[in-house]
Amino acid sequence: MSIFTSMGQAESRRRADQLAASLAGMGVPCKVEPRAALAVLMVESGVAQRLADGELRRAALALAREQGFTHLAVELAPPAAGADAALPRP
Amino acid sequence: MSRSSRAEPTERIEPAGFADVEQRAAEKEKALGEWLRARGRVAIGFSGGVDSAYLAVAARRTLGADNVLAIIGRSASYPAEQWATARRVADSFDVQVLELDTDEMNDPRYAANPANRCYFCKTELWSKLVPAAAERGFLTVADGTNADDVGGYRPGMQAAREQAVASPLAEVGFTKEEIRARSRALGLPTWQQPASPCLSSRLPYGTSVTPERLRRIELAERAVRELGVTGDMRVRYHDDVARVELPAAELTKWLGPDRAELLRAAVAAAGFPRVALDLRGFRSGSLNVLHGVTTA
Repeated sequence: MSIFTSMGQAESRRRADQLAASLAGMGVPCKVEPRAALAVLMVESGVAQRLADGELRRAALALAREQGFTHLAVELAPPAAGADAALPRP
Repeated sequence: MSRSSRAEPTERIEPAGFADVEQRAAEKEKALGEWLRARGRVAIGFSGGVDSAYLAVAARRTLGADNVLAIIGRSASYPAEQWATARRVADSFDVQVLELDTDEMNDPRYAANPANRCYFCKTELWSKLVPAAAERGFLTVADGTNADDVGGYRPGMQAAREQAVASPLAEVGFTKEEIRARSRALGLPTWQQPASPCLSSRLPYGTSVTPERLRRIELAERAVRELGVTGDMRVRYHDDVARVELPAAELTKWLGPDRAELLRAAVAAAGFPRVALDLRGFRSGSLNVLHGVTTA
């Protein structure tokens, strides 16, 4: 069973905060939203792009596992209001 | 429809070891032929996925058109694209088709989405399909379960056993790779199609299954495909968040700012307020891992 099935909200929050601190230490400042064993990273514009680096991504996944998260996802934030609304071409 | 309309195999660039796979697959096809001939007439639960499409075509080639009936169970959890593929395969290879509506969405045990949800879905499917086959003189009913499926967490297989549904591909030891090899050799358009479990598999256990949620997932996955993503991918439902699992090899590309925004906008347009990209990429049975039903 996932450790999160028996974990209280406070413990889940603590693990999320620890993960956020570890990620910030490796250049990925973020907030972490825990959803059971899924951690959703909320990042400022431009930070998600850093996770395009495969090595950094693997390190982030390892940190998440250390905190008991089986899944790690980064939220894709919409463009900031007032930014150029034109979408790039694929 | 004439068999002449079937797709021709594409130009072959063989990967290392492919000849071995083809040889093993050809031998297993002979064993499958013996299995089929021993039954004479066979009805097949037919989704248009890689396995059932191959089984239907292999049975048609072995037993003839009058002795094979491919039965499609239609419901909100069955993607429209897959139905279209099923019909295309049946038309191209002259396989008789029967379509039935299934009603698992109205079973509260299914809609509650427990870990054994598939058991209730398959119970509904086979309880309609098996009698419909028998009424038409098909006393053997088979599914597309293959040898790779047997060890996994698949409560739907229990429902098949309870209804005496046979799994000839698994019985003769056909693996997915071998099924793809024979599908390719026979010219099936499904040979390199990604695995395609029902849409309900995108909802975490305990999150109720509704037609509206399935519709959003289907729209979102179609939108991602339209961006050019090929291979295995899923849009997983987490209430207001859609978690997108892409092939791991494509993650670097889609995390770039331009493509990330295209991806976000496409999934958001399907009705998800928030979109997140999974950093590990596609995992078969991902939600089983999330719930601790299976390990990573």
